[in-house]
Amino acid sequence: MAKFLVVARGTGQAYANRSPQEMQQVLQKYMAWTAGLRDAGRMLHAERLKTDGRVVRGAAGKMTVTDGPFAESKEVVGGFWLLEATSYDEVLAFLKDHPHLEAGSLEVRQIWDM
Amino acid sequence: MNVAAPSDVDALVEHLFRHSAGQMVSRLARWLGSARLDLAEEAVQDALVRALQAWPFAGVPAEPRAWLFQVARHRALDLIRRDVALRGKLDILERETPEADVREQALGDDELAMMFMCCHPSLPYAGRVALTLKTVGGFGVGEIAAAFLAEPDAIAQRLVRAKRQIREQEIAIEIPLPGELGARLESVLDVLYLFFNEGYAAHGGENLVRADLCGEAIRLAGILARNPATDLPAVHALLALMLLQASRLPARVDDAGDLLLLSEQDRARWDHELIAEGLDHLERAASGNEVTPYHAEAAIAAVHAVAHDQASIDWPHIVRLYDDLLALKPSPVVELNRAIALAMVEGPAAGIAAIERIEADPVLARYYLLPAALGGLWLKQGDLTRAAQHYREALTRSCSAPERRFLEKQLARCGGTSLERHT
Repeated sequence: MAKFLVVARGTGQAYANRSPQEMQQVLQKYMAWTAGLRDAGRMLHAERLKTDGRVVRGAAGKMTVTDGPFAESKEVVGGFWLLEATSYDEVLAFLKDHPHLEAGSLEVRQIWDM
Repeated sequence: MNVAAPSDVDALVEHLFRHSAGQMVSRLARWLGSARLDLAEEAVQDALVRALQAWPFAGVPAEPRAWLFQVARHRALDLIRRDVALRGKLDILERETPEADVREQALGDDELAMMFMCCHPSLPYAGRVALTLKTVGGFGVGEIAAAFLAEPDAIAQRLVRAKRQIREQEIAIEIPLPGELGARLESVLDVLYLFFNEGYAAHGGENLVRADLCGEAIRLAGILARNPATDLPAVHALLALMLLQASRLPARVDDAGDLLLLSEQDRARWDHELIAEGLDHLERAASGNEVTPYHAEAAIAAVHAVAHDQASIDWPHIVRLYDDLLALKPSPVVELNRAIALAMVEGPAAGIAAIERIEADPVLARYYLLPAALGGLWLKQGDLTRAAQHYREALTRSCSAPERRFLEKQLARCGGTSLERHT
């Protein structure tokens, strides 16, 4: 088994014009997905990131800090899940029909276990 | 480590978002004033979006409703801070902000006050209906449009106009004083009754949003019945009527989703808990001198509900109750229902004669149940040709998909198909 990080990106506004009932239905799909992997013992960790942030640049004492360019970005990282799987193929099978694909994209990265 | 807890999926009770949306909008708008209804709606929508962004990762909070209330309240404060015109009020509002009080009674007061605003008699009827579903019910514009077979743009327009009138006429979000309660309550009950009837007609059909209207009507009537300000006979009578009718919904269609006649329904599938609750409210409805059409209609539903089988239904009692109803609320639709009951007492010929007397009423000109009833009575008389004629006529009038299938099934029993031309 290897560990995989699944990063969810999106504007966060994909569902802003849906009705409360529709939003709950979307949420239920997410929760069902999470519950499925958790019950199978494959969900190791999950975190939601706040939308504001800082970008730090400048080597050799010339550090500059800017507020993250997140508000304008179409593909903000909203959160991530850390999964356990045998291969990329298995992770991709987990992500088939994932509700987030209607709201943005998912990036999968295998954890480099040195 | 915030992996969603095992109870997460279950923690999202059915309609949590929709009901919370109605409660939060009512709470915030009551706090900000009816002129800021849009702001309240925006804050609530944002809170729901936040939940959608956070809960898939962080899990459902222990108190989801309180979480939503708190986020919506903060969001409302943010929006107020941005509004120059309101900035001066911010200090006062922040100080006066009630902590998210999600106890049922406090929420009920907010929802009740909001219902009275939405159903204010000075608003156009269609606006009252749309506004109640949107703000108290938590329905989306698209859902309201689907429920009333209207265009979303038309519903949005109605909402905009109704809100403008509320601002211009300064209609407050408050429970009316006893002096004006009667007329205001009548308007609220009228709107709830419409929700229920629309939903009941659609139940079991393809249009699930329409069917949800029944549940919403019962929920809102329950809020009225529980509140000391509106714990009144007419409220209990309407609630009794809706509960007794709703008790039959599980038995109203067969496994294929086709409508069943009352006489064909499996009474074991009626919801006996709802019947008991309905009878209880009917009893409470009798606690005053006031008799409303809802009383008579609930009493009719009760006669059906308490009969052990089809043969023991007290039809003469039902005919008398229809007479009471006609005295309170003359209507050709009620006349039609009375005629059907009369046929059960005196035979199909009496029913047919009674229907023929009201057939020409313009109110019934597009009403599919009139020819459908005639079809049923002629079928009982054994005149298949005439029965088929009436079922074909019924099929030319507007009705839901299950109703249509029912009519086609009846027509087939007469040995005809809808494609045949009648001479």
